[in-house]
Amino acid sequence: MSANAAGLSGADTAKRQGRRMAPPVIRGLLWAAIGFLIFNTLVSQVLDRELYDPFVTRVSATVGWAAAVIGWLLGVGAWEVIVLPFFGHPVEWDVPNDWRRYFMFSTDHKVVGLQYIFTTTGSFLLAGFAAMMMRMELMNAKLWVFTNPGAYLTTVGIHGTVMMFSVGTVALVGGFANYFIPLMIGANSSAFPRLSGLSHWLLPAGIATVFLSPLLGQWTTGWRAYAPLSGQDPSGIVFYYLGVFAMTTSSLLVAINLTVTIIFKRAPGLTWNRLPMFAWGILAVSLLTIIWVPEIQMTFIISLLNLIVPFSLFEQTGSPLTYMESFWLFGHPEVYIIVVPAFALWQEIVPVMGQKTLFARQWGVLGLVFVMLFSGLVWAHHMFTNMRNSEMLPFSFFTEMISIPTGFSYLVVIGTLWGARLKFSTPTLFVLMSMFNFLIGGITGVLLADPVINLQTHDTFFVLSHFHYTVIGSMIFTWLAAAYYWLPKLSGRMYSEALGKLGAIWVFVAFNSAFGQMFFAGFHGMNRWVAVYPQYLQNINFSISMFAFLLGLGFLFNFVHIAWMWNKGKPAEQNPWNGKTLEWHATPKPGIATFKPLPQVETGFYDYRESAPSVTTSPKRT
Amino acid sequence: MIDILLFAVFWLIATLLGEWGVHAMEARGLYYSAATSQALDGEKAMAFILTVLVPVIAFIVVMLIYTALRFRSRRSLQFRDNKMFIGIWVLLSIALNILFFVHPSASALEQMFNNEEARLNRHDLIVNVTARQWEWIFSYPQYGIQTAEDSNGNSTLYLPVNQNVRFVLRSYDPYHTYDPNGAVIHDFWIPAFGLKQDIIPGETRLEYVHTNKITSYDVDPMVRVQCAEVCGPGHPFMEAPVHVVSSSDFLKWVQAQRKLEAS
Repeated sequence: MSANAAGLSGADTAKRQGRRMAPPVIRGLLWAAIGFLIFNTLVSQVLDRELYDPFVTRVSATVGWAAAVIGWLLGVGAWEVIVLPFFGHPVEWDVPNDWRRYFMFSTDHKVVGLQYIFTTTGSFLLAGFAAMMMRMELMNAKLWVFTNPGAYLTTVGIHGTVMMFSVGTVALVGGFANYFIPLMIGANSSAFPRLSGLSHWLLPAGIATVFLSPLLGQWTTGWRAYAPLSGQDPSGIVFYYLGVFAMTTSSLLVAINLTVTIIFKRAPGLTWNRLPMFAWGILAVSLLTIIWVPEIQMTFIISLLNLIVPFSLFEQTGSPLTYMESFWLFGHPEVYIIVVPAFALWQEIVPVMGQKTLFARQWGVLGLVFVMLFSGLVWAHHMFTNMRNSEMLPFSFFTEMISIPTGFSYLVVIGTLWGARLKFSTPTLFVLMSMFNFLIGGITGVLLADPVINLQTHDTFFVLSHFHYTVIGSMIFTWLAAAYYWLPKLSGRMYSEALGKLGAIWVFVAFNSAFGQMFFAGFHGMNRWVAVYPQYLQNINFSISMFAFLLGLGFLFNFVHIAWMWNKGKPAEQNPWNGKTLEWHATPKPGIATFKPLPQVETGFYDYRESAPSVTTSPKRT
Repeated sequence: MIDILLFAVFWLIATLLGEWGVHAMEARGLYYSAATSQALDGEKAMAFILTVLVPVIAFIVVMLIYTALRFRSRRSLQFRDNKMFIGIWVLLSIALNILFFVHPSASALEQMFNNEEARLNRHDLIVNVTARQWEWIFSYPQYGIQTAEDSNGNSTLYLPVNQNVRFVLRSYDPYHTYDPNGAVIHDFWIPAFGLKQDIIPGETRLEYVHTNKITSYDVDPMVRVQCAEVCGPGHPFMEAPVHVVSSSDFLKWVQAQRKLEAS
């Protein structure tokens, strides 16, 4: 039975029942393979033959890849949902209301959200496995897991790239926001459902490209693809640029869709003053994405042309610093793209768990917006080691000042916690842990903002630990908080409180033990990007590795627990946390319209006084 | 009221413990090993920031733990505003940040600028540092030493103690000068010296230090030159031992080097 919230419902499904096609994902893979073969062969054998006639060249791989991605997108459903209707054909796309809908083009924001959640979780596990390989290598000061340091560096690059562009940037935005933002603002669909459907399928294409990059050769630059080193390596870096292009395009489309959704699809009465905190966070982060992602895409395209034309824009005869500046101009806002949704989620979850009126809401909103605005002014603090001294002070200034709006998130949560009736559940625990971890990340950030200290700690394990505190410690912990918090809504089932708390304490202890020690390793002279290091650092690295493995197992434990309870947990009530935001009062099932009729919002969502008026009235509509 | 009092007590205890911890770390040496006045400046800046921030860290951590354990399953107080708390929070966070910007950020940076002023460095020891994949090459133009090497032919860096040193940093490959794309970004870092400087192909960068302690790689592995910016598969092997010696030992070493280069 076809059912589709976005209006592409198959009125004449029965008539088309007989139409047969290969499963969309299989068809997409097939079309991708055909696209790659045709265009790669055309370029490398006909248009641009090179000496010794290799079958795959940098140019042919680039063109072939573009054809493959287009083939893949058309194959998973863009052909029927976007291309044919554009030429006036009726939409003939049946989304079966079972597991198969997750493996095809869908315009239902809940399906797209779940697709993103599954894809980011999968890529988190794969890139996490790469991290485990790295920690395994670093248990010993000598080379023993990898056969050469270049293989280690390629692993570092794949780990960083996938974690950044397919987990950090995506998990809370593409995943939870796609699913919950329309529910929270009382809309039945996102603003551009077909764009949204398309955006998800770019992500697995990008992840696969980055993981397959070693097919073209090693790349040793790490996730930043630093020029001029990127120009020296074998061609694996070409797939880095292409894969990242697919992943960032996916994020960009999500950002456009969610921005328009939040601005134009709010339910009647849902004014800006009543907008949920998570929606504020996602609006801020989407604007940040729209501003900065095109910038890095252009940088990477220029850098790719630099390789395949080739130019020498970023070599010593060109300007290496231009690449670094263009990279970090995006690179720092990226950090806030990752962490702003986490700030917003703290402020979303704590009032519900505390059954307490949100404290100083306007300061929370101001904090999110000003972090977004400031984030474009701090980027050159990544370059204190290679910029003019006179340029350091303004960036040092803004980097220190950004801790003020960041602190507003703490102000709001602490004010809300004081005197609350706190339900000490797994999401609460994860939020508190996330706040502790971000505090450590923030304090070390203040130290790094100081140029003199930065010159010693930059490019060492101190910095490594600092940004893992902000990304894993803060964003990933909040991601797990959100997963536990919304599990009853996503699956209709409840997790086990004891196992959830065990999982939280497990990852918290392992995380802080592993990354806490890295600060000291950094001070003691442990630099980054090394598979081999001086013998005196082996003891601390061995200890870090042990806790890192424990952390990996801890994440696995949490995922297995969530997946198990998704299917086998105790059935949950409609609104187990007694939350007031609209998603708790809506039908959560994919494939079914959420609100019928649309709710009329009468007041804000965070008023827990006993005398508080009810949030919505349902107007009599058809 | 009792909550505020209890919280204040816990906050005070946590602050005192934290300050004691920072002080202990400071006494041990925050940077583990500091062989230049620049490293000591860095340690001092860090100790200052941590000392000021300990009460803030303690406030948040104790608050997170206290509220989580204390405010459970009771009747909740409902309030959405507290002008005094918000006012203190906002003003204090602005004040702290301005404080840190003035001191130590701007003040320590000014100190660093001063080290680099030409008028203060008339008697600098000049060391030309060339970074290539994957090797450090040190030459001493004032002493006519082309490549400072030990008897096995490995690069080595000797510096006299209590001396201003000007490192002149370049990244290119002197053995393959025909290759315009052969150079990449390196980073000149001696962990015990407390600062580092990226070396950009096509540019000349300077780094100034003032050595203040006789030490060497033989007794302290942090006294080594280590490339800190990824520069390809050989990146981890791009290191060289450093020896900070008395000025008479330095002159002896210079003589020995000249003999070595002449032979």
